[in-house]
Amino acid sequence: MSGSPFRQSLALAAVLAAIPLAPAFAHTGAGVQLGLLSGFEHPLSGPDHIVAMVAVGLWGAQLGNPAIWVLPITFPLVMALGGLLGVLGVDLPFVEVMIAISGVALGMAVALNWRPPLWVAAVIVGIFAVFHGYAHGRELPDAADAVAFAVGFVVATGLLHLTGILLGVLVRWEWGVMAVRACGVLIGCVGLYFLAGAVGLA
Amino acid sequence: MRSKLRLALLAGALTCAPTIAEAHLVDTRLGDFYAGALHPLTDLEQILPWIALAALAAFQGAERARWIVLVFPLALLAGGLAALVFPALPFTSVLGLVLVAGTGLAVALAAPIPLSALVAVAVVTGLLHGYLNGAAMAPSTDRVLFLSGMTASGYAVFTLATGAAIAFLRGVGGWRPIALRAGGSWVAAVGIMVLGLHLAMKVPG
Repeated sequence: MSGSPFRQSLALAAVLAAIPLAPAFAHTGAGVQLGLLSGFEHPLSGPDHIVAMVAVGLWGAQLGNPAIWVLPITFPLVMALGGLLGVLGVDLPFVEVMIAISGVALGMAVALNWRPPLWVAAVIVGIFAVFHGYAHGRELPDAADAVAFAVGFVVATGLLHLTGILLGVLVRWEWGVMAVRACGVLIGCVGLYFLAGAVGLA
Repeated sequence: MRSKLRLALLAGALTCAPTIAEAHLVDTRLGDFYAGALHPLTDLEQILPWIALAALAAFQGAERARWIVLVFPLALLAGGLAALVFPALPFTSVLGLVLVAGTGLAVALAAPIPLSALVAVAVVTGLLHGYLNGAAMAPSTDRVLFLSGMTASGYAVFTLATGAAIAFLRGVGGWRPIALRAGGSWVAAVGIMVLGLHLAMKVPG
């Protein structure tokens, strides 16, 4: 070590002063924070997920009561079953393709203002929910905190539905009907782009 | 002389080292009360069913919900005391996750349930969570303070959550019960997936 003892003391003093003497906590909650954050970011990290979730809310709002609440309440429950398949490591084929198709199909349903019976809409949304849930569920075993991760992605998914529902409220106005259908077209295009990528065309 | 200077600099550095200034040292007198009060609040597996149970009670009406406000904290206390007698019961984790999924599902369905069933759910939840918190006490923990804090916290959180849910449901707009039911479906989804993970990984307990 070079330098005068004074300088050495000064350097040592500086290092010691910079060390924060924080209390030691056994439960830092770091796992919960990381789990919440990574779970919340997971559905938001893929535009294919985002547009499909917004489309569920949009379609529900477009179909009106009771679809406006049946679809967003059913979705997380069916998504959980898909998540279970992911957690259990079940090999579900065509996950990325089906997620992309969900954007195309739900976008088209909104764009064309398709009004099937409620059970048909619920079944369609439910099938797609399984694949979206599967994609999230695959990440669950590696999460810093499984409960926090699940809370994060379920809340993010729910907020995306809510975004779609709030946008869908525009159907109360004449111009809003067209605006919502235009959103459907946009969602369908995004879904199509990801579908092309999933099948190796883009 | 130089060694004295070095010593003085080191002492100065330690004196100036950044520490957290705490005017109220909770650890000195009632620390274990606060530890008991905060312990359940730092666990999502406990907070989620508490909130879901409050929403479920609110759906049954204020008259029925009042019973749970009384029963739930007492069950918490009983569970905490049980932890002193039975330190390591099996299946507590699985039961906790079943409660998360079950209470969430019940809120999502918003189904009217008999008062006895509502009280039974509150008792099981209180006993289990009281037990889990009580089992987390260290040998040096003041048990009276810890369990008092946990019971007070359970009473305060549950009463406030139930009151807020009842007031929320009484507001104008048909979307309010739908919002609570959607929240219930979120809680149920979390419970179902984590329960699946728990069983798939064969985690003991």
